[in-house]
Amino acid sequence: MARSQNSIACADFWRSRRASRRELLTVGTVGLMGLTLPGLLQAEAAARAAGKGGPAATAKSVIFLYQWGGPSHLETFDMKPDGPEESRGQFKPIPSNVPGIQVCELLPRFAQVMDKVSVIRSVSHRFGNHNPPGYYGLTGHAPPLDDQRLRDTPDLFPHYGSVIDVLRPAPREIPTFVAMPAVIRDGSVVPGQHASFLGKQHDPLLILQDPNSPEFKLPELSLPGGLTPERLQDRRSLLQMLDKQVGLMDRLPAARGLEAYHERAFAMLSSPKVKEAFDLNKEPASVRDAYGRTMYGQSVLLARRLIEIGVRIVTVYYCNPGGGFIWDTHKNNFPELKNKLLPTTDQAVPTLLSDLAQRGLLDETLVIWTGEFGRTPKINKEAGRDHWPQCYTMLMAGGGIKGGYVYGASDGAGAYPVENPVKPDHIGGTMYRALGIDPHTEIRDLQDRPFPIAGEPILDLFR
Amino acid sequence: MKLGEHPGAQREGPGTTAHARMRMLLRGCLPLWLLTLPLPMEAAVTRLEISPPALKFYGKGARERVFVTAVLSTGRAEDVTARASFRSLGACVQAGAGGSVAAVRDGTSQVEIRYGGGRAILPVQVARSAGEQPVSFQYDVLPVMTRAGCSQGTCHGNAEGKGGLKLSLKGEDPGRDYEVIARHGGGRRLNHLEPGRSLLLLKATSAVPHGGGLRFATGSPEYRVLGRWIAEGARADAAGAPRLVRLEVSPRQRVLVEPARMQRLTVLGHFSDGSIRNLAQKAIYNCGDPMVGVDADGRVEGRGGGDAAVLVRYADRMENAFLTFVPVRKGFAWKTPPAYNWIDSINDRRLKLLRLQPSRPASDSEFIRRAYLDALGVLPTPEEVRTFLGEAAAERQEEVRKQGNEEMGKWGNGGNGKAAITSFPHFPISPMARAKLIDQLLKRPEFDDYWTLKWADILRLEERSLDPKGAAAYQQWIRASIVQSKPLDQFARELLTATGSTYASPPANYYRRTRTPADLGETTAQVFLGTRMLCAKCHNHPFERWSQDDYYSLAAIFARVERKGELTRRDQFDKHELSGEETIGLAKEGEVTHPRTGQPVAPRLPRSGRALDPSVEDRRVPFASWLTAPENPFFAKAMVNRIWYYLMGKGIVDPVDDLRDSNPPSNAELLEALARDFAAHRYDLRHVVRTIMNSRTYQAASEPNGTNAEDERFFSRAIAQRMPAEVLLDAISQVTEAPEKFANVPEGTRAVQLPAPAVRGRHPFLRLFGQPGRESVCECERTNETTLGQSFALISGGVLDGKLKRPDNRIGRLLTAGKTDAEIVSELYLAALSREPQRPEVEGTLKYVAGKPDRRAALEDVLWALVNSKEFLLRR
Repeated sequence: MARSQNSIACADFWRSRRASRRELLTVGTVGLMGLTLPGLLQAEAAARAAGKGGPAATAKSVIFLYQWGGPSHLETFDMKPDGPEESRGQFKPIPSNVPGIQVCELLPRFAQVMDKVSVIRSVSHRFGNHNPPGYYGLTGHAPPLDDQRLRDTPDLFPHYGSVIDVLRPAPREIPTFVAMPAVIRDGSVVPGQHASFLGKQHDPLLILQDPNSPEFKLPELSLPGGLTPERLQDRRSLLQMLDKQVGLMDRLPAARGLEAYHERAFAMLSSPKVKEAFDLNKEPASVRDAYGRTMYGQSVLLARRLIEIGVRIVTVYYCNPGGGFIWDTHKNNFPELKNKLLPTTDQAVPTLLSDLAQRGLLDETLVIWTGEFGRTPKINKEAGRDHWPQCYTMLMAGGGIKGGYVYGASDGAGAYPVENPVKPDHIGGTMYRALGIDPHTEIRDLQDRPFPIAGEPILDLFR
Repeated sequence: MKLGEHPGAQREGPGTTAHARMRMLLRGCLPLWLLTLPLPMEAAVTRLEISPPALKFYGKGARERVFVTAVLSTGRAEDVTARASFRSLGACVQAGAGGSVAAVRDGTSQVEIRYGGGRAILPVQVARSAGEQPVSFQYDVLPVMTRAGCSQGTCHGNAEGKGGLKLSLKGEDPGRDYEVIARHGGGRRLNHLEPGRSLLLLKATSAVPHGGGLRFATGSPEYRVLGRWIAEGARADAAGAPRLVRLEVSPRQRVLVEPARMQRLTVLGHFSDGSIRNLAQKAIYNCGDPMVGVDADGRVEGRGGGDAAVLVRYADRMENAFLTFVPVRKGFAWKTPPAYNWIDSINDRRLKLLRLQPSRPASDSEFIRRAYLDALGVLPTPEEVRTFLGEAAAERQEEVRKQGNEEMGKWGNGGNGKAAITSFPHFPISPMARAKLIDQLLKRPEFDDYWTLKWADILRLEERSLDPKGAAAYQQWIRASIVQSKPLDQFARELLTATGSTYASPPANYYRRTRTPADLGETTAQVFLGTRMLCAKCHNHPFERWSQDDYYSLAAIFARVERKGELTRRDQFDKHELSGEETIGLAKEGEVTHPRTGQPVAPRLPRSGRALDPSVEDRRVPFASWLTAPENPFFAKAMVNRIWYYLMGKGIVDPVDDLRDSNPPSNAELLEALARDFAAHRYDLRHVVRTIMNSRTYQAASEPNGTNAEDERFFSRAIAQRMPAEVLLDAISQVTEAPEKFANVPEGTRAVQLPAPAVRGRHPFLRLFGQPGRESVCECERTNETTLGQSFALISGGVLDGKLKRPDNRIGRLLTAGKTDAEIVSELYLAALSREPQRPEVEGTLKYVAGKPDRRAALEDVLWALVNSKEFLLRR
């Protein structure tokens, strides 16, 4: 749903430019005529060196749950039963296992795991069209303009996962960054889902299939008959000889991308661990049922299996199968949430938290639950809620984050933060900090200009 | 930068008139270098430029601003408005610091402007100064509110409005906005007795709670405009009030070379009473390029290079400024390369300006491989490669013999056949052999197949809605049109005016695939005008000239298309899946209703706004004539831009179906020249393909030089891209000599020849590599991204593995024929890479094969490596 554009997009640009040096650098990234690729490689090496020796890590990996379309904070974790009448919803809050923290009555399982969760009720920004804040939430960098047409270009910032792939890569046979089950889009592809100027080799391993489908598998991970690992190695040496002959092709981005993928594929083919992780049939049926036999539920389960083998960050988009948004409840907010979105969520996410805790993994796995914005306090004519970036709620759990904790607060209507407002920049900083990466670490764009990877962490959230 | 040096400068050709414009542009840009640097002590001011050049005032208290630019002896220019002194030479105006000029009494006078020894005179004229000029709703009130963001899409301009106030998006409908602000709710938003207590002002200044917060402060200029308007009685604009006749933005086009990176835009409004107003601080600005920023006063700043259209909008007018920011590139020295034809002359001018040196021309084997892939979607066979390389080598030797002692690297070929001697560092090339090859390719049946595929993509030819019989008929009709070299204007007319059975009259499928007048308008605009109109469905496009009225009056062209026939649904869950024959005809009546007015909309021709003759029976006929008239630039531009994209990998306007003022072409002159040339050659596809492929611009290597590694926009080198899905699968089949079998088509059908993607069970390899499902008219539905999944498919996937193992494949044939290892390796290289193996490759490969117990398996390994090499997978 392409909303119209901000009339003063470029004025916004200047405002953001004045805001801070970091933002200035963010928007003024790469042009058509940047530096050469060798420059990028040097910059990467420097970044990798700089990323070493950061703060002590409290998490090894991240499960990043992204509710595409903008989940209503007012029907989930920041309910306003005493708010103004025109904004009060149809659902009632219920108490959770933490005194003082209430959740929506449609999230009864969540109510039993709130002792593991930090609720951040004061996330705020000013981008009201889906694509720009979609990008913001995935990268921690404010988009240069609030325009639905924001193009997915290499001067925009990479996804958190691609930065992690540069600074804290998984072992080579394991992908650092996996994203599923679709590429999210609103008309055009939402920027911020891949490596952008960091280069294709840092893109996520994209799983564009439904893990809930009985046919789900990655057939690529098996070798055809007659092709032994030794023979594959022989073939690879022949290929290396060939590619070396045309060394100049390394300067072409398309060639570099192909080579990076081939390298990774070879490494993964020789590791049985990855293959097994993708085989959801290895999981007891009871566990699969517990997560919910939905695309979202099985994606969340697969995310757990992947971080178990060492994947650093798994992004699960809660979207429709084609990547369109599902949480954009302009109409029929209440039945949509009641019949579909909240039950699915309440099955998958609390199960994940309990499952991780039981396996002793919650302490080293940071789980993040968010969307690109919240919904308007006021209910519209079609019993829906519109876009509301001014104030919304997200969750963080595990990985050194406090449980049973509320950070920030919104006003009586859930319209504006009244305490500790934070931006996606700070969420990114917090995540990096948990992974032991200094949020001030610089990475360099195609023009060799340095950028800090994120904003200041919210230290108060750490145990 | 003398243009006379350029070999293409004097040449007659489609670029001649545009060339004159370019000359003007160059002159214009020189003085603006170093715009942002402080004035060096030694540089003298040559002259002062003032904008606007003269002022006319009407009404009491009228006030304007004048901007001053100092042109220095170094040729550089600087905005000195803040530092210049202003002195009124008469009593009719007062002039003050910062270029502010205010009317005092009627008369004619001058303002003297001085800066650093320079002097300029601003003529001023004041009339009707006794009478207060009333505040205009449309020209003062709405622009203030628009700039304050009140009517943007996220606020009151939203389709739903906000907080009970709904305004038109960015003030596009002043009449309705006036009603809403001044009248709705019994005029509760305004307080005529105490303007400052008007709800409108209380909300905007956040004096009462306002969801949008503070928009402007009490006492601010915005506040005063609104307050005065209310105090004057909040009147609508009188019928005879001055109207905005023209919006003038300057510079329209400018190239700024580092360190210059800032440009102030001058925005002047010409009104029907003759007054000229400085609107720089009243207009709104928009730019789509994140590399270029614009502030609220029209100062544009680029960072590190960029090429942007800045859209300036005020009241009901909009204009664009095109600004290019060029990095300085230390040590850059332009070397003029030879032009093979006029395309190069035009493009080289652009490259010189952007300080990009084009790459060397592609070698003969790079060229033949690229030419086959682009024109035919197939690889050349080893025999074809050997023949071409032989002819090219012979031509070169002959040329060297003729030139005597001329150094090999010093020749090229002019587009008119004359040799142009240059010092362009490049491989020796073979223009005659290449031109001959291109002519041969254009006659091949594979050309027809491949360009049919491209049209079938755009026309969304698929079997779900057309059914297999209709899809096959439609595809055969497209192919026959290409075989006959049907002019593309005729092709478009036949599609747009089609009637009859979808089986017997295949172009009628255009109306079967797209089924509502609104969708037909959108599709037609995107396919044939290269324009995306969807935004205008719900409101005037905020940054484009397309209005909502345009959208529906275009839809109205198709209001009477009628469909008859019994269609069955094969799948009850899929309302788009239709089966059976349908007949397209015309109804006697039927109109499109405008969603805002609820009234029927008269059909009009886009852009010109000309209404159709109401008596015309088939509205589509005059539309199709308008579309394809030689004087209509949109059709030809949209078509040549697509052809250019297919051959060069990037449109001159990119994306190819998004031609609009705020998405400028990377080379407007080139696009215009191509469009004129296309129209002058009866819209002949092959002519355009031939012209482009014969240019040095097309024949450039993909390998970058020291200046153009990042250029993928201005065609200074070829863009390397992975082969498209169908071409890649066919190429693998061809190299292995193991054809792929597809369901429901005769054996031997290549992937490129498939009429449509399979409805169910689409070939997984094709889907993985980006074959579009033909759901969208957008060219972007076909992707050539690389993914990890593709790497798996090539390394360990079943498709390639099966072909390598087939006993009767190319390896099997060569073994049976008793060829030696060396012969086989040579043949495999020629088949896959269109070149002979180099010595280390021969030695390494032969050693590998000799060292393996199973000769056949070893050769399979060699072929596997060839297919997996970057050199194979990329069109480069």
